[in-house]
Amino acid sequence: MSLEWANMYSAFGPAYNPHTIISDQKEPIDQELRVAGGSSGGSAAAVASGMCFASLGSDTGGSIRLPASYCGVIGFKPSYGQCSRWGLVAYASSLDTVGIITRNVHDAQLIYDIISKYDEKDPSSLPPKLRSINSSLASFDKTNSNFTDLSKLRVGIPQEYYVSELSDPIKSLWKRGISLLRSYGATIVSVSCPSTRYALPAYYILAPAEASSNLARYDGVRYGHRSDMDSKQDEKLLYTHTRSEGFGEEVKRRILLGTYTLTAGSYNNYFIYAQRIRKMVQSDFDYVFRRPNPLHLVKNESSFCNCNNDEIFEISNKLRKESHGVDVIITPVAISTSPKVKDSLSSSFLSNSDNTKSLDDSFVNAYVNDVFTIPANLAGIPAISVPFGISPIDGFPIGLQLMTQYGDEHTLFYISKVLENNK
Amino acid sequence: MIIKTFVTTYLKKTCNERFISKIKRNVTFYQYSTHLYKSNKWETIIGLEVHAQLNSKTKLFSSSSTSFNEPVNTNVSVIDAAFPGTLPQLNTKCVELAVAASLALSGNVQLVSSFDRKQYFYPDLPPGYQITQHYAPISLGGKIFLNQLDGLEYDTMVRIKQIQLEQDTGKSIHDIVPGMTLIDLNRAGTGLIEIVTEPDMRTSKEAGLTVKKLQSILRTIGSSDGNMEEGSLRCDVNVSVHEHETPYGTRCEIKNLNSIKFLMAAIDVEIERQIKELENGNKIVQETRGFDVLKNKTFRLRTKETATDYRYMPEPDLSPLILNKDYITRISNNLPELPDDLKTRIMKQYGIPLHDVIVLMNETGGVKYFEEAVKNRNPQHVSNWITHELFGLLHARNIKFSQNPVSALQLGSVIDCVDNGDITGKVGKKIIEKMISGDSRLASIIIQDEGLRQLSDINELEKICKNVILQNPEQLRSFKGGKQTVFAWFVGQVMNKTKGQANPKLVNEILRKLL
Repeated sequence: MSLEWANMYSAFGPAYNPHTIISDQKEPIDQELRVAGGSSGGSAAAVASGMCFASLGSDTGGSIRLPASYCGVIGFKPSYGQCSRWGLVAYASSLDTVGIITRNVHDAQLIYDIISKYDEKDPSSLPPKLRSINSSLASFDKTNSNFTDLSKLRVGIPQEYYVSELSDPIKSLWKRGISLLRSYGATIVSVSCPSTRYALPAYYILAPAEASSNLARYDGVRYGHRSDMDSKQDEKLLYTHTRSEGFGEEVKRRILLGTYTLTAGSYNNYFIYAQRIRKMVQSDFDYVFRRPNPLHLVKNESSFCNCNNDEIFEISNKLRKESHGVDVIITPVAISTSPKVKDSLSSSFLSNSDNTKSLDDSFVNAYVNDVFTIPANLAGIPAISVPFGISPIDGFPIGLQLMTQYGDEHTLFYISKVLENNK
Repeated sequence: MIIKTFVTTYLKKTCNERFISKIKRNVTFYQYSTHLYKSNKWETIIGLEVHAQLNSKTKLFSSSSTSFNEPVNTNVSVIDAAFPGTLPQLNTKCVELAVAASLALSGNVQLVSSFDRKQYFYPDLPPGYQITQHYAPISLGGKIFLNQLDGLEYDTMVRIKQIQLEQDTGKSIHDIVPGMTLIDLNRAGTGLIEIVTEPDMRTSKEAGLTVKKLQSILRTIGSSDGNMEEGSLRCDVNVSVHEHETPYGTRCEIKNLNSIKFLMAAIDVEIERQIKELENGNKIVQETRGFDVLKNKTFRLRTKETATDYRYMPEPDLSPLILNKDYITRISNNLPELPDDLKTRIMKQYGIPLHDVIVLMNETGGVKYFEEAVKNRNPQHVSNWITHELFGLLHARNIKFSQNPVSALQLGSVIDCVDNGDITGKVGKKIIEKMISGDSRLASIIIQDEGLRQLSDINELEKICKNVILQNPEQLRSFKGGKQTVFAWFVGQVMNKTKGQANPKLVNEILRKLL
């Protein structure tokens, strides 16, 4: 299991950022080894170094987009429910999304169109009827055929994403991305997603809670590691040594956190609140986007279900035109470029630091890396990390993140291609 | 058996209905112990949690078979064994059976319910959690009525709190290999409904009858086999006692009771234990207890302090279960006749006694079988042949009624042949035995092929009787001399000569005349 943000403690050792190892024409300014990011850092590094055409990864809180940004490749997380989770080792089931890492947007779309099919083996797979309604809904990519004219595009800049931890190279890149879209005629709108500030803490309650439950099956009874000690112990301690030896430190930390938030005494104080915040994050996005969320249409307006595809397009296109919402949101992916391996290790959770405060800080810093990527997981909306430049300070790649309404993957690809062609 | 047979015969002779119901009550419940209150000072409060395995071919969240008594660990899929990357897939048949059960118990089927994980570590629970419905169960409310037809002297009602869909666990086998626990996952993931009652029972008899009634309802609608010996129905019971006019006492839960007899016994000894504790000035602590059948005592399993925190969490793999009204109406319209209505109707329509109806209802499909066989026949004869002969013969060979090889058509043909004098009852029984062994022919054909027809030809019989008398002058002399018992000896001789096929009534008449 490789669950760490910096991918330092996975079963197979750390994944290094290929830009430090293989890049010979574009010499990085800093020669030190960098991390590939996690948890799908291995997949990102493999694609970046040309070992493969594309790779699949899983994105629970940014595990595809973050390493993609660090390694300078495309990292795409589809809407929750588009690609089957059958066969994916579950971490946090309600957030886990199978996604794609490639070197360009075209390749990502190619793979996506193949794997985004209904699978009856995954109960959270979007059913065919909803897929059909979704594909009939009006969206930007359907109404616009000219790449050099984005005059009908509305782009949202969420003010809450302008955080103090943001490094200067990333800030300027973000601004450059916005200017680019404006130069193609897009309308830039400042939008607000007020619940964003609570998204990170909510995520770190929900994800460990689900993980503590999903990882309970690794008990050494039917498969996997089993401690020699456990066979000698009495029945009450059957799992203790197996699980203590088999899991890494960060995994254990999250299991303990999740177990705690689910206990009878704290469930109402943590889990329930976190669920509410998740709902708020979702409605923030629904408010901001002008394409209707197909999941709500089916629930609330049953008349929609009886419409044919043309009628659905007509109705939703009218709604979309009247709306003041946006088609796409543009934000940074990470607060910095790829961290140095050395720095990751010094803030390592494994080190027996006597300084408790710095240890606490290191967890929080590590978790803050996910601040831009987590909202898309909580809301289940599609998001992509597109490489958009190189940091003038360390020469490492930086990506920008685009997000669209649930089910609007094709608008996401459309705008991604604009960024890609102009980086 | 002897008592039952005696009473049935006795009942047939009496026509006083009130008297019948009085006798019936005593008979139906001779098998139960009756708790005798020490005094009227104490009142007992009893609530039940019943787990019934759903009668579906496959498990609740996988396509593995649910069949019973298969070789260990053969009905296990990667989903049941909780392999990484697997996801549950809800079996709609289980939902249908749970909805049917809820409707039959007058429950309020919820249009939206959801699944939760109940989490604890145990080797026979592969994922480390059981999928259940903790926060929003599939049905709320409901009731079970008990009355004279069930064997209670008065009418009462037990309210149902909720019914939830959930998974069964695997089985841990502790005593085959010393020092080891063996795991059989065949049962893991089988669909269950947990039926939770309100604390509405006051005696062990009411509790026992409630479970019995529940069994019969679940069997009638086909939601569950409700077989306690095989574990397809299991009971936990909550018991507390308090003095009249005072608030309810602290309850104790007794777990894993696997027969109605033990359930009632456990309640009775638990009541006695709690009263004794309270009378000695001690307090009852809330705890979970087991029941030791041999010692006839309950014992502490765990106290509230050491109780597991199940860390209930909404099941993220499964979206809420949404049912529409049409679906529920359709199931409701297809519900078979429920036990109370069925009992009354069968008694009225066919004029057979309550006891027979209860015996028929105790076997899944028994009443249906009776109704098929009874067409154009004497209902009492048919009932006797089924409840006495067929059930007895199947039982002797350890065959469940659900596996009964004798079709209603075949049994009917036997009854016809007996009733119109073609064969004796004894031969009829032999033919049924043949049928149980796999003979699928009708009785009339078996009789013809094997020459079993009863001798009813008067001329033929007279010839045989004359011969017997002529050949035994000594016996004739002693009969004429007044020794009446010899008459039976002559009958026996005739029966012997005809290999038991002579019509005994005719033989009697002819011999009387000749002698």
